Amino acid sequence: MDLFSSSTIARQTWELENNIVTTAADAADSSSAASDAIFYYDEAAQVKFQQEKPWSIDPHFFKRVKISALALLKMVVHARSGGTIEVMGLMQGKTDGDAIIVMDAFALPVEGTETRVNAQADAYEYMVDYSQTNKQAGRLENVVGWYHSHPGYGCWLSGIDVSTQMLNQQFQEPFLAVVIDPTRTVSAGKVDIGAFRTYPEGYKPPDEPVSEYQTIPLNKIEDFGVHCKQYYSLDITYFKSGLDSHLLDLLWNKYWVNTLSSSPLLGNGDYVAGQISDLAEKIEQAESQLSHSRFGSLITAPQRKKEEESQLTKITRDSAKITVEQVHGLMSQVIKDILFNSVRQSNKSQAESSSPEPMVET
Amino acid sequence: MASSSSSGLTFKLHPLVIVNISDHYTRVKSQSLPPPATAHCAAHNNVEASSLPPSPPPRVFGCVIGVQRGRTVEIFNSFELLYDASTNSLDRAFIEKKQELYKKVFPQFYVLGWYSTGSDAQESDMIIHKALMDINESPVFILLNPSINHAQKDLPVTIYESEMHVIDGNPQLIFVQSSYTIETVEAERISVDHVAHLKPSDGGSAATQLAAHLTGIHSAIKMLNSRIRVLHHYLLAMQKGDTPYENSLLRQVSSLLRRLPAIESEKFQDDFLMEYNDTLLISYLAMFTNCASTMNELVEKFNTAYDRNSRRGGRTGFI
Repeated sequence: MDLFSSSTIARQTWELENNIVTTAADAADSSSAASDAIFYYDEAAQVKFQQEKPWSIDPHFFKRVKISALALLKMVVHARSGGTIEVMGLMQGKTDGDAIIVMDAFALPVEGTETRVNAQADAYEYMVDYSQTNKQAGRLENVVGWYHSHPGYGCWLSGIDVSTQMLNQQFQEPFLAVVIDPTRTVSAGKVDIGAFRTYPEGYKPPDEPVSEYQTIPLNKIEDFGVHCKQYYSLDITYFKSGLDSHLLDLLWNKYWVNTLSSSPLLGNGDYVAGQISDLAEKIEQAESQLSHSRFGSLITAPQRKKEEESQLTKITRDSAKITVEQVHGLMSQVIKDILFNSVRQSNKSQAESSSPEPMVET
Repeated sequence: MASSSSSGLTFKLHPLVIVNISDHYTRVKSQSLPPPATAHCAAHNNVEASSLPPSPPPRVFGCVIGVQRGRTVEIFNSFELLYDASTNSLDRAFIEKKQELYKKVFPQFYVLGWYSTGSDAQESDMIIHKALMDINESPVFILLNPSINHAQKDLPVTIYESEMHVIDGNPQLIFVQSSYTIETVEAERISVDHVAHLKPSDGGSAATQLAAHLTGIHSAIKMLNSRIRVLHHYLLAMQKGDTPYENSLLRQVSSLLRRLPAIESEKFQDDFLMEYNDTLLISYLAMFTNCASTMNELVEKFNTAYDRNSRRGGRTGFI
């Protein structure tokens, strides 16, 4: 029983559920075929699952999400292409026990603004057209969720998103909401993505799950705070086919150049500036709160003091995050400088060839 | 089927297209050959399925879209197409429909050509190619070889263009191979990296983030180093006389060397140092914030500990 990868677990669970007897002869075939088994769409099993509706009993039924390499790539590229405008699209896939599997994603031609609740009529038409043509071309899965981007302000559901998702979960189950932040992805160098499902109206979750802290800009923080208890996030894992892994490995041979030549500092200048000014506002706010408490009586309830403290620690964490990203970017720049610029210097003098003089230039 | 280089167009391929084609192929393959035993095929079918030799994997077909600017052809995305084996053609109405749909979301992309899987371009492919010529007068044909061959170091993707060549007196269209480069946007690169190496997805501590970032750069530098070594050995061998002189290669190497140092100017140095200073300033400020917050905590704790004194005596000495 090896627990090394989600695909092995999926395969073993699947094998267990379906009482598979593999002969020794095609054991080799079966391992490669079974790891791609996730791509097989079993219509009858899906329909059966739909009719059972186990999620209506337990609002916390779905716990995991598995996203295919293709879906992730498409969603991130689409989100990034929107720039600072929110974009949205739909995801296709299937369910597998308590996991929702996202096989593919496609973009919707909707201009996103925060006031839009739903896709407009022509987007519905687009959706139907696209699903039809897809079924013809061999993609049999159904729409299983929607994704949209929050460029620069983190992965969480806003008030409008929560109401949209609650509506979806009433009529189009099983449905999943995914949020991507392309700006933070590029700035931090890792994919910023979150998958959520809302609780039904009036349901109180049994325990308060500890969610990972993320920086939220001041103008959005109220929206976040009001609704953050109405949904829960799901774990995301990724999968890819054997051919995908092979191709991706080979792809590395070609684009190590891009890795070395990427300059996150240059690309993200205005985003970082925005972050810093937001941080400055938060500090001012925290400072005014602190100064109020000084003149208030010292017998104030300890809760208020704790709030300000945690406000200040939050600010510290945010500033640390910004700094770390900046320093990473600078490290890349310095490494590139050493690699490609220090050639002549080694001819001039040995002492100077190690690193460029940091601060003092006469 | 000549394999000489092409008409002078440069091709740039995005990884999304490659992953798309691979996914399409995997999907069709797994749908047509169900996994070793399904819940519905009971035991009697099991024996049959396992004794059948694996049928040759089906070929999949699709269309690629992108942008052509002057002599550069950049291929961004792709979608699947219906193939009619009897007439050996692609379904036209389907292409038009799909193209419309994609135009709505990505208005600047045009149909640039088509793709297929297989190990080699075949004669029948030329018919499909000609059919597409009325959408785009010079379409490209991308061929992906889906057989996994671990000895192969190169991507099994080839791009073919069609050229008019005179063979045995009559002008014919044949496929010629062209070279291409892989082009990515920053976001694409990060997500491909993410899926390829399955990096830690959560924040982690600063140490793990740093490790991840530096590991990425380290592997890139290792690649650079190995490539340079190969060139170095080759040049040494040429010097010793083991391999014949190849002037074009030598010219390329010398032009490469002359390009180093990459940028050397006053302005660059100034900008670079300014950026360096900015980052140091940011870390200085972050340090300050950290210190201020720790101080604040200390003062609060101190106040709470010595609260009784101030209330009793009215002294307010500890703020």
